[in-house]
Amino acid sequence: MANIEINQNQQPTSTSRSKLTWLWSEYSVVVAFVLIFIVAALMNDRFLYLQNQMNILMQVSTIGIIALGMTVVMLSGGIDLSVGSVLAMVGVFSVLSLNATGSIVVGILTALAVGAFAGFINGMLVAKGKIASFIATLGMMAGARSIALYTADGGSIAGDVQGFSSIANTELGIVDLPIIIFIGLTVAIYLLMTKTRFGRYVYALGSNEKAALLSAIRVDRIKVGVYSLCGLLVGVAALIETSRLNSISSSSSGNLYELDAIAAVIIGGTRMTGGKGKVIGTFFGVLLLGVLNNMMNLLNISPHLQGLVKGLIIIVAVFFQKRD
Amino acid sequence: MGRDSLLEMSGITKSFNQVEVLHGVDLTLNKGEIHALLGENGAGKSTLMNILGGVHQPNRGHIKIEGKEIKMESPRISQEQGISFIHQELNVVTDLTVYENMFLGSELRTKWGTLDVKEMCRQTEDIMLRLGVEISPKTYVRDLETSYKQMIEIAKSLLRRSNIIIMDEPTTSLTDNEVERLFGLMRSLKQSGVSIIYISHKLKEIKEVCDRYTVLRDGHFVGNGSMQEVDLEEITQLMVGKAVSTDAFYHEQTKGDPVLTVKHLTSEGNFHNINFTVSKGEVVGFTGLAGDGRTELFESIYGFRKKYSGDIEVNGHPVKIDHPKKGLQAGIGLVPKNRKENAIIKDLSVIENMSLSSMGNFERRGWIHSKTEREKFQHYKQQLNIKVHDPNRTIDSLSGGNQQKVVIAKWLEVNSDILIFDNPTQGIDVGAKNEIYQHIMNLADQGKAIIILSSEAPEVLRVCDRINIMFQGEITGRFHRDELTEEKIMEYATGSKREAENIG
Repeated sequence: MANIEINQNQQPTSTSRSKLTWLWSEYSVVVAFVLIFIVAALMNDRFLYLQNQMNILMQVSTIGIIALGMTVVMLSGGIDLSVGSVLAMVGVFSVLSLNATGSIVVGILTALAVGAFAGFINGMLVAKGKIASFIATLGMMAGARSIALYTADGGSIAGDVQGFSSIANTELGIVDLPIIIFIGLTVAIYLLMTKTRFGRYVYALGSNEKAALLSAIRVDRIKVGVYSLCGLLVGVAALIETSRLNSISSSSSGNLYELDAIAAVIIGGTRMTGGKGKVIGTFFGVLLLGVLNNMMNLLNISPHLQGLVKGLIIIVAVFFQKRD
Repeated sequence: MGRDSLLEMSGITKSFNQVEVLHGVDLTLNKGEIHALLGENGAGKSTLMNILGGVHQPNRGHIKIEGKEIKMESPRISQEQGISFIHQELNVVTDLTVYENMFLGSELRTKWGTLDVKEMCRQTEDIMLRLGVEISPKTYVRDLETSYKQMIEIAKSLLRRSNIIIMDEPTTSLTDNEVERLFGLMRSLKQSGVSIIYISHKLKEIKEVCDRYTVLRDGHFVGNGSMQEVDLEEITQLMVGKAVSTDAFYHEQTKGDPVLTVKHLTSEGNFHNINFTVSKGEVVGFTGLAGDGRTELFESIYGFRKKYSGDIEVNGHPVKIDHPKKGLQAGIGLVPKNRKENAIIKDLSVIENMSLSSMGNFERRGWIHSKTEREKFQHYKQQLNIKVHDPNRTIDSLSGGNQQKVVIAKWLEVNSDILIFDNPTQGIDVGAKNEIYQHIMNLADQGKAIIILSSEAPEVLRVCDRINIMFQGEITGRFHRDELTEEKIMEYATGSKREAENIG
């Protein structure tokens, strides 16, 4: 029945049109991205400069990596509001350990461990504590920020180990390392979600948790895994963020990152309640937001107005997406 | 017919996307009759009713109500013509009270503009009285049993002074007592001149309560007439287009060693002191009324529920099962009831649903090998006769019977020794039902231990070797198939007889 009703909306006889409908319903974010990209190119000739393109990618890499984790969480039917605060907390701890030991490796490991651990706690609260993810991660959001502020005395801490800042400032050819990390992680998460058991289980869990459990899936472990993975990715993002300026601010770093990440995931077509969505969608959602930001900067739109434009785009993008 | 016909639908044709799904269907409804609309899944019953309800517009054909031609352009017009549609999924808001549900969207107000609670309660009480049920209008709907929720829907349609009520499979979630109550109610509605179009797969009920019938098959009108003049076999034949046997599937099997032994299993408020064994190659039925605890019992054995005491032995070894995964590892599989909520994952494809419980069989070095998945699915598609065009589409594109076959394929792939089927033919049409029974028998022949939970006595009588009857969480009777009749099952299922523990 349902199929028949869907097909009804398509124009019969013209298959090219139905193909377009399919393209739009499955990859509307790509179409929207291309449109905005063309508009940006037409409005300012500096937009297409290679340097500017690399700038955009560089700017979105942090949010992009977080959004990848957010995609996995949201596909599982949850949400993680704590990513911004955890990023600040991870940054503070990794700089502290870096400065204490003088070892970049220790700094990196600390960042990954603290991020994954925060995610693990989120996961345990959601899976074992049966707390709604919105509430559990809201608690983590407040808690992690507070720990960061307390540890850093409310200010910023800078790294005093040489070479740490080269993580984010190394270029391979013309491409900055963070861009490579972002794209590499996109591919990795894509493979994880489409080619492994874990990914399959995440989709199943987000679509119908009870049926997943009755199919003998260890739903609790998958949830803990999902939030830990998101935390780990926040750890990576925190490293890039900290290393770029060689310092982290306990009060302002990561502020509102959760909103940008969620926006990118939603624009990318992932369903709020889970079970449906694509990693590729998020990737283009991130790029779309990046291009938009860049375009507004090039056009000298007041930074105070940029939030409004961004908000509008998010709503318009979601409005035109195929709804269930 | 013509004189007192209330509704006449003639030559209704409807196409979706240039595919004609209704080919000139006629339906005549007399005043004050209960009219069965019959057909297999996909025969066009819902489409026809959606046209009557104003949801779809017909391409050709006429709808006449009391002789006047009406164009049902929207659900609103249909409602104004006195047509109410009671869907299978009830549309009641459980967090509101009875009267609030009754007047939802058309609340009465006092001259001050505030809600006239008193008047609404009075009218609700009036109608409830007419329906012969005693519920306080201020009860919260969430506290009511399912049958009462259905009453509210019916009461709503009476409140709107409907004279045609469409009921789509109203009895699927009702116990036998509740069904009786509903039928009583339908008869008294009929007396007061209301006509009912009744859609159901349960032919026995239809025989009991309906006056006339119309049968559709593949979008064609194939017959109508008076219920008294036909027997169930003729109707079944009309529906499926060929004779379908309702004979028992049972055949004597060589019984093996006990596979599953359950001793003193107790869960507070669900079931009490349950003992039984199931052997290799055996088909054991558990039946009873809704709320007898059988679903909870087997969900516990499978590990979905954790709070219980007692011992479970699989192949002679005691096992502790507190998660479905452990149930699976112990060799127990469960095909749960309410397929939509419990068994299928509607965003995953048909193939992905099939492989979900046994991903290990489809992995190579940690990566899913989709070619193996596809090939394995082709195997089950043939074995179970699964009708599917594109197995990469999501599973909700399949009909109920085919969805159930995919769920069965999922457990075949796990290859459990013990398979529990909870209400395996829920919402499945007659033809597919028989296929499912046949597959279950084949599994028993292969040496699996099969447990079937069903509230339908004919179902367990058709396939099971032994039948346990439950009442309020206890086994009240254990019988071999030869000793049982439907009447006898009823006696034990209602608790009027109990002797299980004496005869062991």
